[in-house]
Amino acid sequence: MSEVVLKAENISKLYKMGEVTVKALENVSFEVKQGEFIVILGPSGSGKSTLLNIVGGMDTPTSGDVYFNGEMITGMSDKELTMYRREEIGFVFQFYNLMATLTAKENVELAAEICRDPIDIDEVLEAVGLGTRMDNFPSQMSGGEQQRVAIARAVAKNPQILLCDEPTGALDFETGISILKVLKEMNEKYNKTVVVITHNASIAQMADKVIKMRSGKITEVIINDDPIPAERIDW
Amino acid sequence: MKKLDKRLFRMIKNTKGQYIAVLAIIITGIFVFTAVSNSSINLSDSLDDYYMETNFADIFVTASGLPDKLENSLIGEADIKEAEARLVFDTPFVTDDNEEDVDVRVVSVDKHESKINKLFIKSGRRTLSDNDVIVIEQFAAARNINVGDEIVLRINGRQYKFNVTAVASSSEYAYMMENEQTMLPDPEKFGVVYVEEDYIRKIYGSNGSFNEMLITTNNDDTLDQTKEYLEDNLEKYGVRRVIKKQDQLSNSMLSQEIEGLEMMSKSVPIIFLIFAGIMLTTMLSRIVKKDRTSIGVLKALGFKDIEIMSHYLKYAASVGIIGGTLGSLMGTALSGVMTNYYLVFFNIPMLTVKVYYYRIIVSVFLSLIFCVISGFWGVRNIVKINPAESMKPEAPKKGKRIIIENIKLIWNHVPFSWKIVLRNIFREKKKFVFIGAAVAITCGMMVMTIWMVDIIDVMFNRHYDEFMKAEYNISFNGFQNEDIKNEIAEKIKFRNMEARNEVPFEIENGKKSKIVSIIGLEENTAFYGFEDVKGNPVRLPESGILLSSNLASSIDAKVGDEVLLKNFMPDHDDGYVTVKGIIKQSLGINGYMNLDYMNENFLDKGIANGVYVNTDDDVAKSLNDMKTITIMSQDDLRGAFEEFTTVTAASMMFMVIFSGLLGFVIVYSMTLMSINERTLEFSSLRVMGFSKSEIFNMLVRENMIMTVLGIAAGIPLGIWLVDYMAKTYTTDIYSMNEPITTNNIVVSIILTIIFIVLAQLMTYAKIHRLDFMQALKSRIS
Repeated sequence: MSEVVLKAENISKLYKMGEVTVKALENVSFEVKQGEFIVILGPSGSGKSTLLNIVGGMDTPTSGDVYFNGEMITGMSDKELTMYRREEIGFVFQFYNLMATLTAKENVELAAEICRDPIDIDEVLEAVGLGTRMDNFPSQMSGGEQQRVAIARAVAKNPQILLCDEPTGALDFETGISILKVLKEMNEKYNKTVVVITHNASIAQMADKVIKMRSGKITEVIINDDPIPAERIDW
Repeated sequence: MKKLDKRLFRMIKNTKGQYIAVLAIIITGIFVFTAVSNSSINLSDSLDDYYMETNFADIFVTASGLPDKLENSLIGEADIKEAEARLVFDTPFVTDDNEEDVDVRVVSVDKHESKINKLFIKSGRRTLSDNDVIVIEQFAAARNINVGDEIVLRINGRQYKFNVTAVASSSEYAYMMENEQTMLPDPEKFGVVYVEEDYIRKIYGSNGSFNEMLITTNNDDTLDQTKEYLEDNLEKYGVRRVIKKQDQLSNSMLSQEIEGLEMMSKSVPIIFLIFAGIMLTTMLSRIVKKDRTSIGVLKALGFKDIEIMSHYLKYAASVGIIGGTLGSLMGTALSGVMTNYYLVFFNIPMLTVKVYYYRIIVSVFLSLIFCVISGFWGVRNIVKINPAESMKPEAPKKGKRIIIENIKLIWNHVPFSWKIVLRNIFREKKKFVFIGAAVAITCGMMVMTIWMVDIIDVMFNRHYDEFMKAEYNISFNGFQNEDIKNEIAEKIKFRNMEARNEVPFEIENGKKSKIVSIIGLEENTAFYGFEDVKGNPVRLPESGILLSSNLASSIDAKVGDEVLLKNFMPDHDDGYVTVKGIIKQSLGINGYMNLDYMNENFLDKGIANGVYVNTDDDVAKSLNDMKTITIMSQDDLRGAFEEFTTVTAASMMFMVIFSGLLGFVIVYSMTLMSINERTLEFSSLRVMGFSKSEIFNMLVRENMIMTVLGIAAGIPLGIWLVDYMAKTYTTDIYSMNEPITTNNIVVSIILTIIFIVLAQLMTYAKIHRLDFMQALKSRIS
């Protein structure tokens, strides 16, 4: 657990909104090590989604650099960023964003199809607890089930990092906990580095490292030597 | 199968209404293109093969007496390759019914085989002995004449029996009109028979001379020079007409038909394809917009822009391939029906319905390319979608005031539900302009079609009720003294009778010329009602000539021009005449002169070659003993014309359906699109307490405004199309110079509205089925 997979150096992101310039991120720097479970914590508008999008290769910073396994991804072409997302990153979104016209299994296969070295789909679906629901369409599933499909979709690509944007934001407490368990399992079973962004401080209890943000800046980085299992979290 | 392809199939399934709609338009466009262009190629190729096989003449010469030996002396002169003389005359065909008036054209042919215009034997044998006859197929079929039957002809007053040894087709009579005046073939009343030349010369008494010469040449480009050579060198044999194959009656009718088909194959499909293209672009850009988040997810997953674009382009490509394939296959099948339909009018034994595989492939390829380009235009914004941005809910559309809102006096009085309607229209201008354009095209094409359906009847009725009012047109065999009127008068009780001349001339204006019948009429004729193109009455002038409008435009003549009449009568001079008027004539192509003026300047004094008669008597019976006349009654012409109109009415029905389909499909698919996109908006309205019908009415109102505007634009478009058709679709048989009537326009508007209302009703089912509550909850992309 010592190798740095992701490194952000002085990331800033400015948006022009009419005549006003909004600073979404300001000189943000941090490191993520292989196999870590990291929580980025902050209220809405603190810039955490922007940060996630930048390190995930979905957006580019106004200034600063991002390194993945030592290779700088800022400055990569669109094509290179696409390949980066394809091979190295798995995204999990707050609203699942599944393809409505594909079944659970097909949603996962869709992602696996474009990768060099995908994980066995049935195995992943079993791992997220959807072994019996894999032929259902998203509209026939609950929010928690849909989020499990989304996690399976992200993991099946066999990426190095899972980037999860408020994965429990649209779920009730119990379902939220079950999703966090699944993420932790993925972290442990498949040795995936997991970055979860959330506004829910309770989730920080299960992280190896917590990065606190406010108004586009990192306010605190906490190393948690004693993370607790998801089922013991209370909020 | 790749999961994205699976998604594509399900996307097609979910948008099947729109998919089928755009497919229907592509199919229609490709279908019309293939059907019409294949028919045109079938017709044109078959005709070329037929002409080649039968060695169709390049030049046709008519004269008073051509000596036997002339043939050989012409060969080698002025590019002449072959020459063949023949004797041709019209004579009564004797039927069991004494009152029936049937004529045949007797053509002399070689005992074994002709060199030029060879006969295409359908049954029986080609070799002829005395008393043998070969009957042309159309006539044989119409009168049920078979090989082995006996027919009787009255030649120079005597009856001769002939044995039918063969039934044959002739390339010269593929379109079997008696002459320019008859306009439509009537194979029961007029036929062609072929008799051995020595025998027929003997019984006809032509003193060893012929009256026609068929010529083939070595060079198609020098036909004019060959024609001039023949005119000059055969003058001493009383040459009457020298016509090139382009002007030969049957060939010229066929060429006009082929040109019409070519024109149609280029215009109608383009309209359909353009609309299909716009529809596809609109549909795909809307789908892409709706799928914004999905596209973002795909990008986040690592799909390349090109992969995502291809995913959506496959939608367009499938429309292109399926539409192109079905359209071209259906078109090929219909081209068979259409080509066979031509057999009603044209006898082309070698007419083959070919399946042009390469054309099917080309059609599919063109349709594919067209759809992919249209599709590309619709999905081009995919590259601009930022995956990070696409995850966020889209910012609401900018709400801004529309122009009418500034006119407070009006806007304040607009009910709320109409305000929504007007705002929607102004905010989605492109979509509504498209709907309006589709309605306009539908209405415009409807106006044109209804006018054409109507005009066929109007043209015929006007021609015979108002323009040319003779119940009988009696033609003499050659010129007679005008006194023959008295002879006829003794035999029938008539209400009106006038002598007339119908004589072919080549009318020349500058470099343009045309061979037409010029009709000489008595002063103050009661049989013709001339009107100029604006509908003002025109009197037959004492001197000079009146031209039918299609003749005038064919030779670019206008009132006041001096045109040259080239006389085909032996020993009579050519001469210039002044165009005194251009008149409306629905059927046929003619010039008109005062009979005395015509006789004095171009013929001989006091002669006529026929009379017009209005009588209640049975003319055929009363004039039975007059051996050298042929009688054509208006009723016979009406019969032939009605057959013609039945077939054209069927093709017009197709046009009405195609035009309606265009409006129907576009309004239907655009409304479906609106419903799909505005589910959230409608759901909110439902929550507020709006009923499904009220929401449907909102959509109806939007389309209603566009329908009204579309129709308003469609009427002038229709009038323009009518004008265009009238100008370009005028042939020697008919001139579409009848104006459009209010009735035509009203019928077109009603039909357009019916198609649009049907499309709307179809969409109601969709509104009814929509689960609005689900839409409000849904966050699944």
